[in-house]
Amino acid sequence: MKIEIQNLKKKFNKNYVLKDISLTIEKNKSTIILGQSGCGKSVLIKTIYQLFKIDSGSILYDGKSEVDIDKFSMLFQYGALFDSLKISENIAFTDYINNKTNFHKKVFSLMNDVGLDKSIFDRYPSEISGGMKKRVAFARALYKNPKVIFLDEPTTGLDPINSDKINDLILKVITKRKVTAVSITHDIKSAIRTGDNYYFIHDGIIKDKGDCKKILKTKNKIFKAFIDGADLKY
Amino acid sequence: MKLIENIGNIQIKLFSNLGKFILFIIFFFRYLFKPKFYFKNNLYYFGKIFISSIPIIALTGIFSGMVLALQSYTGFSRFSAESAIPNIVVLTLTRELGPVLTGLMISARVGSSIAAEIATMKVTEQIDALKTLNTNYYNYLVTPRVLSLTLALPIFVTLVDFIGVMGGYLVSVHRLGFDDNLYLLNTLDFLNLGDYLSGVFKAIAFGFIISIVSCYSGLFSDKGAFGVGSATTNAVVVSSILILSSNYFLTELFF
Repeated sequence: MKIEIQNLKKKFNKNYVLKDISLTIEKNKSTIILGQSGCGKSVLIKTIYQLFKIDSGSILYDGKSEVDIDKFSMLFQYGALFDSLKISENIAFTDYINNKTNFHKKVFSLMNDVGLDKSIFDRYPSEISGGMKKRVAFARALYKNPKVIFLDEPTTGLDPINSDKINDLILKVITKRKVTAVSITHDIKSAIRTGDNYYFIHDGIIKDKGDCKKILKTKNKIFKAFIDGADLKY
Repeated sequence: MKLIENIGNIQIKLFSNLGKFILFIIFFFRYLFKPKFYFKNNLYYFGKIFISSIPIIALTGIFSGMVLALQSYTGFSRFSAESAIPNIVVLTLTRELGPVLTGLMISARVGSSIAAEIATMKVTEQIDALKTLNTNYYNYLVTPRVLSLTLALPIFVTLVDFIGVMGGYLVSVHRLGFDDNLYLLNTLDFLNLGDYLSGVFKAIAFGFIISIVSCYSGLFSDKGAFGVGSATTNAVVVSSILILSSNYFLTELFF
């Protein structure tokens, strides 16, 4: 699914978080949204997902303004797993709450795809590690075979080894399942590894865009400062 | 100038919250009759609320009945009207103390837990996750809790009434020297279905108040640990005040 955003503005109370965003998310490509904390990255993907209403501008999904959000899924920053449900019930949530019981085979297959051991099938989220939670959340996001998957800082809070594993997983999923991916990250290494093209947001505006493989060659001063780890003031 | 601005801001916040709360109730009734009804979820919450509340309900009932008998004796013995104690115990419990004390205890026990649970779900993006999974949070979170508590509270009040009367009986017979058969006969004689039903009606109203206020406090909480704490406090304080104030109007209704 191709998503085109034109002059998007979004405010909370009187503060504009997204001031004027125009970008295109290409079908079956991996688009990376980069930027410092608080620049509006999460608000942007939640607005594309229609979790927030837009204040002005437009979002077109394959040329149409309306979309069935069942075609989307999201991996949240900290997993957002449901504490009171078992791992299997979390992954197959949509079937579980509709009293369908034949989801075990599909859950096992997804657990295998994301590298989870079958032994955690009946455990609760509080009984597994942070890395495992991310994988479970990833499996839940894949359960409904989405056309577009949104990844909100997929490697945040993980050690370098687990970060690499999650990045490999993202790559595997994008190529194997042919989905459109939109990832938010601070992590330049992840962006280069998993992305096709990138957009750099600063203070609610897109300051730079381009090919992920050429991120380090950017000429944009603010983006360069961001890559170098400088504290960017709004 | 700053003071007037602050007063104005507080008023705007107050009325905006009131408006949001009224809309929340309207949406609750709207989604109550929409087809998605998670029966398993409803049953789970009813069981959870019921089992977790029984001990405090029993303790509330027994001590209220015991104290009521002792205090009534202190007053009535001054003009030789001790025989009215069984009547006073059963009437006070069924019409007033049963529903009000149960409501206050349940708002502290269950209301706070509902608000904290939903506020934590909000902070950890579980509410957003529900939306992304195309699940209406009114149907999945609000309806089961409101229905369970609204249905459970009349049962709790019936238990408090019964256990309270037994508490009064224990104190009256074993501490104040009443005849056991006479005490029970007086209680049954004086027990009126109308009195009991007025208490049950109050319980239904209080159950609805506690659950809807707690769900609202959780869903519209601020972010972070402070938000969860405030949501819990608001749920208990607001529902307790609403229980006490609505109790007057409901009592007028059944007067």
